[in-house]
Amino acid sequence: MLFTLAAASLIRHRARTVLAILGVSVSAAMLLDMVMLSSGMRVSFGSLLTSQGYQLRLAPKGTLPFDTEATIKDGDAMVSQLLARPEVVAVSPVFGGQLYILTAHGVIASSALGVIPAVEADYELSSGRQPATANEMVANDALLAATGASLGDTVHVGSGFDSQLRTLTGERTLRIVGRARFIYMAREQKGAALPIETLRAMQGRDADGRVSLAMVRLVPGQDIESERAALERLFPRVTVISIAEALKQVDERRSYFTQLAVILGAVSLVVGFLLVTTLVTVSVNERIGEIAVMRAIGVHRWRIVAQIVLEASAMMLVASPVGLVLGLVTARYLNSILANFPGMPERIDFFYFQPSAAWTSLGLLALSGVLAGIYPSWRSASLPIAITLRQEAVG
Amino acid sequence: MSAMLEVRALVREYPMGDERVAALRGVTFDVDDGDYAAIVGPSGCGKSTLLNLLGVIDRPTSGTVAIGGERVDQLSDGRATEFRLRRIGFVFQRFYLMQALSARENIELPLAEAGLGKVARRDRARALLDYVGLGAREGHRPSQLSGGEQQRVAIARALANSPKIVLADEPTGELDARTGAEMIALFERLNADGTTIVVVTHDEDLARAARRMIHMRDGVIVGDERAR
Amino acid sequence: MSFAALCLALAIAQSQDSTRHIAIDERLAADAHLHLGDRVSLSATPGESGSVATIGAIVRRSADPAEIARGEYKVRLHLTQLQDLLGYGDRVDRFAVATTSEQVIGSAAERINSAAFGFRAHRSRDIAVQTSATFAVVSRFHRAIGVITIAASAIFLLCIMLLKVDERRRDVAALRLMGISARTIVRGVVLEAAGIAVFGSVVGVGVGLATSWLVNLHYQGVYRTPLRFSIVTTDIMLGAVALSLVLGIVAGWLAARRLVHTPPLALFGR
Repeated sequence: MLFTLAAASLIRHRARTVLAILGVSVSAAMLLDMVMLSSGMRVSFGSLLTSQGYQLRLAPKGTLPFDTEATIKDGDAMVSQLLARPEVVAVSPVFGGQLYILTAHGVIASSALGVIPAVEADYELSSGRQPATANEMVANDALLAATGASLGDTVHVGSGFDSQLRTLTGERTLRIVGRARFIYMAREQKGAALPIETLRAMQGRDADGRVSLAMVRLVPGQDIESERAALERLFPRVTVISIAEALKQVDERRSYFTQLAVILGAVSLVVGFLLVTTLVTVSVNERIGEIAVMRAIGVHRWRIVAQIVLEASAMMLVASPVGLVLGLVTARYLNSILANFPGMPERIDFFYFQPSAAWTSLGLLALSGVLAGIYPSWRSASLPIAITLRQEAVG
Repeated sequence: MSAMLEVRALVREYPMGDERVAALRGVTFDVDDGDYAAIVGPSGCGKSTLLNLLGVIDRPTSGTVAIGGERVDQLSDGRATEFRLRRIGFVFQRFYLMQALSARENIELPLAEAGLGKVARRDRARALLDYVGLGAREGHRPSQLSGGEQQRVAIARALANSPKIVLADEPTGELDARTGAEMIALFERLNADGTTIVVVTHDEDLARAARRMIHMRDGVIVGDERAR
Repeated sequence: MSFAALCLALAIAQSQDSTRHIAIDERLAADAHLHLGDRVSLSATPGESGSVATIGAIVRRSADPAEIARGEYKVRLHLTQLQDLLGYGDRVDRFAVATTSEQVIGSAAERINSAAFGFRAHRSRDIAVQTSATFAVVSRFHRAIGVITIAASAIFLLCIMLLKVDERRRDVAALRLMGISARTIVRGVVLEAAGIAVFGSVVGVGVGLATSWLVNLHYQGVYRTPLRFSIVTTDIMLGAVALSLVLGIVAGWLAARRLVHTPPLALFGR
């Protein structure tokens, strides 16, 4: 009965209902997008950090990993010390640098990572294999495309390029044995990885023993925070970053987007709420007489409120799935815009869909639908029955 | 015979600007169980105000109303609603049916509110429609029914929860003479079957059909006669 | 002057210096409690002892959108000072060339590139386009969000206008019964709807200006930058009013047409 009356009321003013549903759908889409934006980058980055199983990262004091060209002196000694600790299962040192490749069309510069292939956690192989000898490397699609090289090809590379003499420094001939997707590199960024000793040797004596970053995998169940603190005490010139800490630093950098998401999300919710409240108020005002009759024949006030709240919620609920689909489409579009941020890792999503985002949006919408219905319905159900009936009879 | 309705010194005043206007100025009367009373009088004499107070949709300024021995003049909103649902049947001049619901669903509305199961309320609604002669029109919407048919549905709705008393406000006011006569006959049948009826009307035929006629003027009862 | 990532350690000022002066940005000065005349130690590697310099200036950060979310500090040094610190010799990353007029920029760049050995000349404008890529992305993002917001607002406005006109059904019925023509009624309703839309949008512009002021106040504080995050231009204001007006007229016309095509008694609910 309640459903019939609610449905009848919505159908009675079709154009109004359709517009309201459309309006709420757009609000819902915006809300979902903003919920996704508010946590997307964090979740996306968090999943990148955790995917390889390393809980701690050691970087030169005061920097984020690869934030600057700073390196840790005596990195090898630090790695040995780390491996000697019973709390540590594995350590993956990384040494960053540049690689210059001579081609027929000129010199191509690429980012290079010196790694220990057996424990590396910076890339995923899409084909081929890990470097097994000192003169092997893996490259990403961007580098392969730029050089025109394929798996199995050898390339002449250097760790430096003298632009005046147009000659490479720290030269090597390396064989490309794998095609890799670098987790933290930007979409358009050219990248290669080779054994850490090879890259260091190419850079000369200054690079001996240096690392840009060391990732540490702990024994399962180990308290990460206490180990982080212990390592910072052990290596005072190094910043030890846990995933939580890294996410906190990411939070600071993405605070603009978080705040934008909160503001626009709140505005979307308020617009949806206002729209439904306005419609419900008008709809209730049009049915004051009907409500008074229902009250006169003994229908309880709460049931009238329930009917009208049901109407408001129905509008919200019909609009929500439409809004969610619309939201996912727009999120994809907006994400494609933000993916063009210079230097943004390819696998980072600003709009990261999680079921919780949909549930949060749905929950907020349902709540605002209920709230939108409560006030006008309670007000109308509380009007004096006799007077309302008389006025309706006159009107 | 015991009194179904006991009204004592009933006063109802309305604020109008700085002054208070009395619509009822001390009304006292009883209606026996199973009786059929018509309240008549010129417009503005307080008939409808009285009916609203009897129907527990308004509160008196002073005085008391008891229905079936229970004081109803100071009930809380929740208890008044419950009382209206189970003890009182309302019939309005303009029918006031829910346009979105069918004839049967309109009757089922107070039954559903009273917590009756789906099957039981369907059976009860059908029985009531048969009683008012609209058994074949159960699926029709109010807009598909004539004025007389709509009023019959409204009477069936008023009877849904077997009320102690039926209150009717100008039930023939919107009907033509022939349909009005059918309605009068229906009220007589209803009363003959044991329902107490209080009707407020300008319609002399309807008033004459009642067993008792209470005359009102300027908020007070000026006459009370047994028709037969 | 040139830029580089440097490690900077505070050294206690002991004596009047013969050291060179550097400039630091006000964010660094505030966070590290540095003042003019303080002496600091600069090095290119964390933990290593470097050369001592005196803070000669504290500079305000430029309103650069590319920098707003970056937490780094900035130190400005004399070119040779930084070259010494980094062991760069006389190397430079880039240098700027001023031309006598704008017209000769292209030919000057061509001449340099034909004669240059080991470097290339670029127009400053082209470099600016590349370096403002971050801003361009944010700008595109904002534009996309703006389109969605406008769509939502348009629907909202259309809905409200329909309701507003619908409220006039009894008045319209009375006018029709009095013999006023449908055309006159439609015109009147549309005029009223347009008036409401314009009034509403003017109020909206006021709210927008106030919100913009608050947004700037907030974000300038958060990012410690003079950058203006939100600017309500005349074009935006006129656009908002024009959009509201069009929507108001469309909604008013649609609703009024429906009303005048409904029999007056039906509008009265009879």
